[in-house]
Amino acid sequence: MLNRLTSRGARRRLLMVVAAAAVLIIFAYGWSVTDINLNRPQEPLRQQNVGNALRELLSPNIFQQDYTIINATTPILMDCPADGSAPAPAEPTGGDEPHIVVIPACAHSGEIVTVQGYNFYPDSLARINWIATDGERRIRQVVGTSNDNFVTNTDGTFTVEIEVPRIRGTSGQTHTVEAQGRFPAGLPRFSDTTGLVLEKMIETIFLALIATSLSILPSAILSFFAAHNLMRPVRMSLGSLLVGFALLPVGWLLGTEVLGRIGTLAVNLGKGAGFNLGAVGALSSLFLFAAVTSSRAQASNISLNSDHLREIASKLLLAVVVVATIGLLGGLGILFGGLFTEGLLRYLSNFIGSLGQLVELAILPIAGITGAFAVSSAGMSLALNGLKKLHGAPAHLLGGVLGAICGAILMGMVASIGMQAAWLGLLPPVAAASLASGILPALYRRFVPQPARPTAAGRSIQTALSWVGIIAALVGTAAVLNVDRAVIAGTLPSTRSSVSLPGLTLYPYITQAMLIGAVLGGLSAALAGTKATFPLGEILYNTTRTILNALRSIEPLIMGLVFVIWVGIGPFAGVLALTLHSIASLGKLYSEQIENIDSGPIEALQSTGANRLQTIMYAVVPQIIPPYIAFTMYRWDINVRMSTIIGFVGGGGVGFLLQQQINLLRYRDAGVAVLAIAIVVSVLDYASASIRERVM
Amino acid sequence: MLIIENLTKIYENGFKALSNINLEIPEGQFVAIIGLSGSGKSTLLRCINRLIDPTEGRIIWRGLDITSATDDELRQIRRRIGMIFQQFNLVKRSSVITNVMSGRLGYINPLFSLVNYVPRVEHERALAALERVGIAEKAYQRASSLSGGQQQRVGIARALMQNPELMLADEPVASLDPATSHSVMKYLELLNKEDGITILCSLHFLSLARAYADRVIALKDGRLEFDGPPEQIDNERFRQIYGEDAVEVEIH
Repeated sequence: MLNRLTSRGARRRLLMVVAAAAVLIIFAYGWSVTDINLNRPQEPLRQQNVGNALRELLSPNIFQQDYTIINATTPILMDCPADGSAPAPAEPTGGDEPHIVVIPACAHSGEIVTVQGYNFYPDSLARINWIATDGERRIRQVVGTSNDNFVTNTDGTFTVEIEVPRIRGTSGQTHTVEAQGRFPAGLPRFSDTTGLVLEKMIETIFLALIATSLSILPSAILSFFAAHNLMRPVRMSLGSLLVGFALLPVGWLLGTEVLGRIGTLAVNLGKGAGFNLGAVGALSSLFLFAAVTSSRAQASNISLNSDHLREIASKLLLAVVVVATIGLLGGLGILFGGLFTEGLLRYLSNFIGSLGQLVELAILPIAGITGAFAVSSAGMSLALNGLKKLHGAPAHLLGGVLGAICGAILMGMVASIGMQAAWLGLLPPVAAASLASGILPALYRRFVPQPARPTAAGRSIQTALSWVGIIAALVGTAAVLNVDRAVIAGTLPSTRSSVSLPGLTLYPYITQAMLIGAVLGGLSAALAGTKATFPLGEILYNTTRTILNALRSIEPLIMGLVFVIWVGIGPFAGVLALTLHSIASLGKLYSEQIENIDSGPIEALQSTGANRLQTIMYAVVPQIIPPYIAFTMYRWDINVRMSTIIGFVGGGGVGFLLQQQINLLRYRDAGVAVLAIAIVVSVLDYASASIRERVM
Repeated sequence: MLIIENLTKIYENGFKALSNINLEIPEGQFVAIIGLSGSGKSTLLRCINRLIDPTEGRIIWRGLDITSATDDELRQIRRRIGMIFQQFNLVKRSSVITNVMSGRLGYINPLFSLVNYVPRVEHERALAALERVGIAEKAYQRASSLSGGQQQRVGIARALMQNPELMLADEPVASLDPATSHSVMKYLELLNKEDGITILCSLHFLSLARAYADRVIALKDGRLEFDGPPEQIDNERFRQIYGEDAVEVEIH
């Protein structure tokens, strides 16, 4: 026993030593890969350079002082007379004007004379000029230095030696020695750099603010789909789901055609001067009607045969009203956008006008989506009773037909995405694999007699079969669609031969994918039958999470590069990049908050007969508001940091300026930008921390 | 009449929480469900309003098959079945009145909920419900500021908003002290006697069951162990239900 214990201890120690050695080697490799070199920092030139750069960075060019130059002159006789009647050197006048004295008062070319100055500005720059009879100023450097300028003493005096310039034929002339001193003019003020940095800093803060606020709504909506506790219980009968899914394209077509027209009409109505209050009245009464018809009767007895036709009519009506309202508001926005061109209202007018334009641009997609959802939900409630009565073989047959249609639609959509870029071509095989994953296990369950309670062996056989199906579908689809060629050579599928339908072009690539989808989807759904439950929530959850994670892994700087190509250099590109990244990041953070909430109220509200939307509004939303506020503040804080550097790729803000200053080696100006960033970031850091503390 | 036929629930991990339960509960009864922790009391209650989907069997209430109801039908059934919980399940950050009004959501147009609009009459109804459980003065306080007993009364008021004909109570007093327990049980008794609401209440303490219930159902390992009036539970029955080592504790 003891022996075994010690041997185990020894093994453990040996393992620890080996592990430590491995870690050391890995670390050493990293040391050399990152090119760590201890000699370079010691080179004197480099040390001097970094010293200068740091010195300038730490002397930010925040303030600026304007100067005037004041001249003081004194005459000097060239070549002292031979009779020795050299003029006596002038005495300091003793007044408070700046003046100079040259000693001696006469000198030969090339001689050294002393210049004394009085009443100059203390500790500031001055220089000595020699003015000969030709009137030209010759800068005389102080003997022993190579600077044109020197610095005056603290009491405003100076004593410097200069060399008399060697000019021919000047003997007997009287030249002038001039001292130019710098005197401050006016009070110190903020430098132009400071002004520029401030302007860019405001741009930066607003860039972060706009990006954060734009991301709140999309990420809040996405967060519900990315919360496992909310999505796991969402299940649907396969039959309903297939009916709904098959109707989506029909609804989209109807939506863009019919609702789109209504929406465009509403936009024009809103834009047009002929707009009157009657339209608002008509729409609001329509809205009321839809609301009333869709409300459930407050009858005391439970009616299980609810009036489907009325329900469907109210759903379609609601879709019309929604699109018309959005369109009308958009049109009104455009109308308002043209109203003010001056004053503060100009900003508001411009903003609302942009929103209106956005609606005008997006009215067809909005109509399409609304139509798709309305038609599919109407179809689902219409099919509900029929599907409920369906049992046995017909259920499987119908499942097969619907599954084939839905599989074809799904693969068609995925394939049209897959056509856009070579590596997106990997998506159709993945989609086909997920369609196929259930086929073999379902066949196994159907044709091999099953024990009453599932056994572990049965389960692992089904898992293995599922993987066989997945791999077969993956490889098969990849082979049919030539994915290998796309991935290796980067070539896109051929678009040469195509069949054109109204509003839809079918390339062979897409039709092949649709065929595969029809076969796999048909088989899966036929085996499962319309009665099977489909874990819709689980699928939505996984899809949302995957997309969010993929988006989050792309740095905003890289997104910025792409958006700069799209919308040009400037803060707009930065806003788009930060918004996209914030949506992914906030979506994840928000959804984790939802997963942390108390599930009791959800259960309680479900038990009262509240529907899903009501449960979320009354049981989930009150619980998540404080953490949502906290995380939004936190994200704004991060976005301000990010927006200070998004300018490095052309995304606007203070980073753009900083990059220019660094490239021009203007480190004193760069120092201002760095200081501004440090101040803003730390203030926001503190503010967001204290707000977070207060709401949590 | 609530009829439970061959009800069986097997969880996904293979645990059999209920096996082949058959019950008939006439209108207006006060039924206590007793049993050890894990005996299937909560699962049974949650199968009745399908917060948990049963694996096998049928539940028929007033001729409606709850087990085969579609989502929409289920919501219509659920709004007539009130439920209160051991942990009260209130939204702690919301006001008491909001919590109570949320019991009425099954009757309110879902579109109204998007803009957080509640009709005036429902507001009045909520105040009346709070009045009934004796805490109308707390209506505008946060639910978290109330004591346990008061929170459970808010839970009852919320269930009252549904105009329930059946009330499921899942260990309603297990988190409360004895005195508060009795006050909450008294309100349930009141609903049973005055409004004629059928009550299914799971309880830990047999003494509470003896004090309030017309009928006691005992579960043991998911099986029906006893079904009858409380007086019939003698020491021998008690040991059958709770195990050989159990001693009955009185709660006053």
